[in-house]
Amino acid sequence: MARVGVFVCFCGANIADFVDVPKVVEEAKRIREVKFAIDYKYMCSDPGQQQIRDAITQYRLTSIVVAACSPRMHEKTFRKALSDAGMNPYLLEVANIREHSSWVHQKDKKAATEKASDLVRMAVAKSIANEQLHEISVPVTKRALVIGGGIAGIQAALDIADARIPVVLVEKSPSIGGKMAQLDETFPTLDCSQCILTPKMVDVASHPYIELIPYAEVLELEGFVGNYKAKIRKKASYVNFKTCTGCGTCWQKCPVKVPNEYNMGIDKRKAIYTPFPQAVPNKPVIDAAHCTMLTKGKCGICAKVCEKGSIDYKMQDEIIEREIGAVVVATGYDLWDPKPYEEYGVGRFKDIITSLEFERMVSANGPTNGVPVRPSDGKVPKNVVFIKCIGSRDEAKGIEYCSKICCMYTTKHTILLHHKVHDSHAYVFYMDIRAAGKGYEEFVKKAQVDTAATYLRGRVSKIYKKGDKLIVRGEDAQIGQVVEVVADLVVLATAVIPPKDNPDLARLLGVSYDKYGYMSEAHPKLRPVETAKAGIFLAGCTQAPKDIPDTVAQASACAAKVCGIFSGDTMKKDPMISTVNNEYCTGCQNCVKVCPYGAIVTEEVPMGHGSKEMRTVAKINEGVCQGCGSCVAVCRSMAISLAGFTDLQIINEIVSI
Amino acid sequence: MITLGLQEKNTLLAEVNQRSGANVLECYQCGKCVSTCPVSQYMDFPPREIIQLVKLGQRNEVYMANSTWFCLTCSACSGRCPRQIEIPAVMEAIRHLAIEENYVNDSTKVKEIRKFHEIFLDMIKRYGRNYELRMMAEFNIRTRNLFKDMHLAPKALLKGKIPLGVKPMKSAKAIRRMYQLAEKLEKKHQ
Repeated sequence: MARVGVFVCFCGANIADFVDVPKVVEEAKRIREVKFAIDYKYMCSDPGQQQIRDAITQYRLTSIVVAACSPRMHEKTFRKALSDAGMNPYLLEVANIREHSSWVHQKDKKAATEKASDLVRMAVAKSIANEQLHEISVPVTKRALVIGGGIAGIQAALDIADARIPVVLVEKSPSIGGKMAQLDETFPTLDCSQCILTPKMVDVASHPYIELIPYAEVLELEGFVGNYKAKIRKKASYVNFKTCTGCGTCWQKCPVKVPNEYNMGIDKRKAIYTPFPQAVPNKPVIDAAHCTMLTKGKCGICAKVCEKGSIDYKMQDEIIEREIGAVVVATGYDLWDPKPYEEYGVGRFKDIITSLEFERMVSANGPTNGVPVRPSDGKVPKNVVFIKCIGSRDEAKGIEYCSKICCMYTTKHTILLHHKVHDSHAYVFYMDIRAAGKGYEEFVKKAQVDTAATYLRGRVSKIYKKGDKLIVRGEDAQIGQVVEVVADLVVLATAVIPPKDNPDLARLLGVSYDKYGYMSEAHPKLRPVETAKAGIFLAGCTQAPKDIPDTVAQASACAAKVCGIFSGDTMKKDPMISTVNNEYCTGCQNCVKVCPYGAIVTEEVPMGHGSKEMRTVAKINEGVCQGCGSCVAVCRSMAISLAGFTDLQIINEIVSI
Repeated sequence: MITLGLQEKNTLLAEVNQRSGANVLECYQCGKCVSTCPVSQYMDFPPREIIQLVKLGQRNEVYMANSTWFCLTCSACSGRCPRQIEIPAVMEAIRHLAIEENYVNDSTKVKEIRKFHEIFLDMIKRYGRNYELRMMAEFNIRTRNLFKDMHLAPKALLKGKIPLGVKPMKSAKAIRRMYQLAEKLEKKHQ
C-alpha cells in the first residue's frame, strides 16, 4: 500500500498569511495513505529538504507531496531532495498552494485554506499512481548557431568558439559589426567604438572555430535542443569571395550612386560596395536593387575592371544546411521613425536629424569628417537642441517603454558636440535622466558641469522655423516657465524598437515574443537569457533595449549556457513524454496535426502478431516531445499516454475532491 | 516666456560663478535647499529656481527677484546641499551684481531690507559694533514707521537686550580703516 508524506510550506508569510497551514497539515493527516505530514517555514531551504529526506527513510514513504509554490519554481529542488534520499525523483508531486491559493484568495482565508487542502488531497491521490520514471538521454550536436553579427553576436560567437565549440555566425548584412560599428565613441568612458569593436570583428573572421556566413539569413529551424537543423539562405553577393581580394577597384569605378545606409543616408555609396572601410569580411557585394547590370543589363564595368574575375552576375541565392545543437539569437534593434511628430516639423525641416545621424556626423570616419553640420546649408551649428524620449514613453505616438540608452547617448552627444565645436552650446529637453550604471551618473555630471550643457525638463511642444533658425518651444518645469530655444540644429533621440522581422524570426524559431516584437526570456529575473524553448538563447537588444555593457554581459551569459549544453556527449531530458500504445492506435493521425513540436511521425506495424499486412500507427520522437499533452487530449482511442500524467493519475485527482 | 540661444555666451553664469566662488552648474535641481530654507515661501523664486534662472542666463529675473534680499544667509541650504553649492554666496553675489548694474526692486519689503543693510553697516562703521537702540530708531525713522515693533521695546529693555548706551570697540578705528580701504577698492573697480 502507498505511503505518502505531505510537506506543507509557509513560504515565509506568502502562504501562511492567507492559508491556515497547520490546518492543511491536519486535513492531510486524515487521508488514509498519508503516513506523515508536517509544515515548515521554508520547505525549499536545506533544513526543510532535510525533513523530507529524513521522513523518507523513517516512514518508508513511497511518494511525496510538497504543498508550496509553483512547480516551475522548485520542482527540481525537491526532486533532487528525493533522489538524495535514494528515492526516484518522479515520485514527487507538487501542490501549488501559493500561486493557486494564497496569492489569489487573499481576502478569504477560510476558502483559501479549504482550497489548499483540496489541492493537497488531489496531489496525494495523484501521487499514489506515480510511477518510477527515468531521465532520457539524447545525443548532442556540438555546434552553435549565432543569428546576428552585432556586438552581441560577435561576443557570443567568440566566447563559444574559445571553448572549442564550432560556431556558425549568420549575419544578414554584408559585414558584421552591427550598430556599434556606426558609433563614434561609447559612453561613459568615451572609448572609441571602432577601436574596441574592429579587433573583435577580425577575431571572428580568423577564428578557427567560427564559420562566418555574412549576407545570409536563417530560413528554417527544425528539431530540438542538441539536435537542430538550420536552413540558411546565402543571398547572392555577385562577387566570388574566394577570389576577391577586396582591392576596391570595382567600387571606385562603379557609376551608380545610392544613399549610404552606414552613414544614415548622409552621403552616397556605390551599387557595388562594402558597408564601411573596416568591414569584415572586407569583400564587396552588389546591391541587386540598384545595379544597372542586374536591373537593366547595361554597364558591367565592375566585371571589366576586376583583375581576378570575381564578379559573377549570374550568381544565385544558395541554401545551405547546418546541424546545430543550440542557438543564440542576437538580432539587435532598429530605431523608431519619428515621422508621427508632425508638430516638430519632422520631414519638413531639414535641420532636424536623428541621434544616429548626429553620431555619424561627429564620427571620425563619418561623412563630414567628424564635424556636425546643418543638412540645410552645411554650416557648423552653434546652438544644438537635443530632445529625448522621441517615441519612447509616448503611448499616443510611439511606445510605452523607456528605451534605456537615449539618456546616456544624448549625454555623450552633448560632450562630443563640445569636443568638435568648442563655442557651441547644447540644450537638452528631457523628462527624466536615467543614469543607472557604472560611471553613468558621473558622466551626466560631466556633461552638465564641465561642458555646461543646459538641461531643460520638459517635452518639446513644437518646433517652428524663423529665418534659417529653428525655434524649439517647451516648458522648463524646473522654473515652471515656457522656454524657446533658438536652435541651429535639432537632434531627436528616437526610441529603440525591435527589428521589423523579429516576430517572423521568433515564430520560425518557435520562441515567444512580446507585444512590441522583442523575444521573450523564460523568466525575467532568474532565466534572463534563456527562451522557453530549450537550447535557444537571447543576447542583446533582441530581448529588450540595452546598452553595450549589458549586451556583452548577456552574450557571454548565452555562451556559458551553450557550453553547458555541450558539456557532455548526451543530454539529459525529462521523462514526462508521450508514448503510443500500438494496440489501441487507429492511425487517425489527429495527434500528428496537433503536436506543436512536430514530434509525432507515423510508422507501419504488422496488423497482428506474425501478420504480413501492415497498418499505420503514430510514433513519438522522444527527443522532440516536450510533454505538453495535446496528443493525449485528441486521441480518440486513448492510445497515447503521457508519463507522469497518466489517465489513472488524472482520474485519481478528480475523484479525490 | 524665456528665449534661449540668442546670447553668444551666458555671461550671468560666468559672473555669478566667479563672484561667488561656487559653480551653479553643479546644481541638479533636487530642491532640498527650497525645503530647507526658512523663508523660501516668501520668495519670488526659491533658491533652486534662482539657480536654474542663472543657468539659463535670465539676468532681469534673477536681479529683480526678492529672493536674494530675503535670503538670511543662514546657510541651512548649503549645509544640506548634496552638491555642496555655497548657495548664500551665490545669493550674495547676485545682490552685489544687481546693485552694481543698477537693478532696483521697487517692492517696499526689499527697500526696507536694503535700508536695514545700510544702517547696519553704518553702525559698524561708527562704533565697530552694532548699537541696537540707535539702529532701531534710525530704521523706524527712515522707513517712516515710528512705532514699528514698539510694543516689544519695554520687555526687551527690561531683559537688557537693548543697552541704552554703546561702548565703541577698541578696534573701531581699524574697522573704519577697513571701510575706507573697501571704498577705495570699489572706486578703483568702477
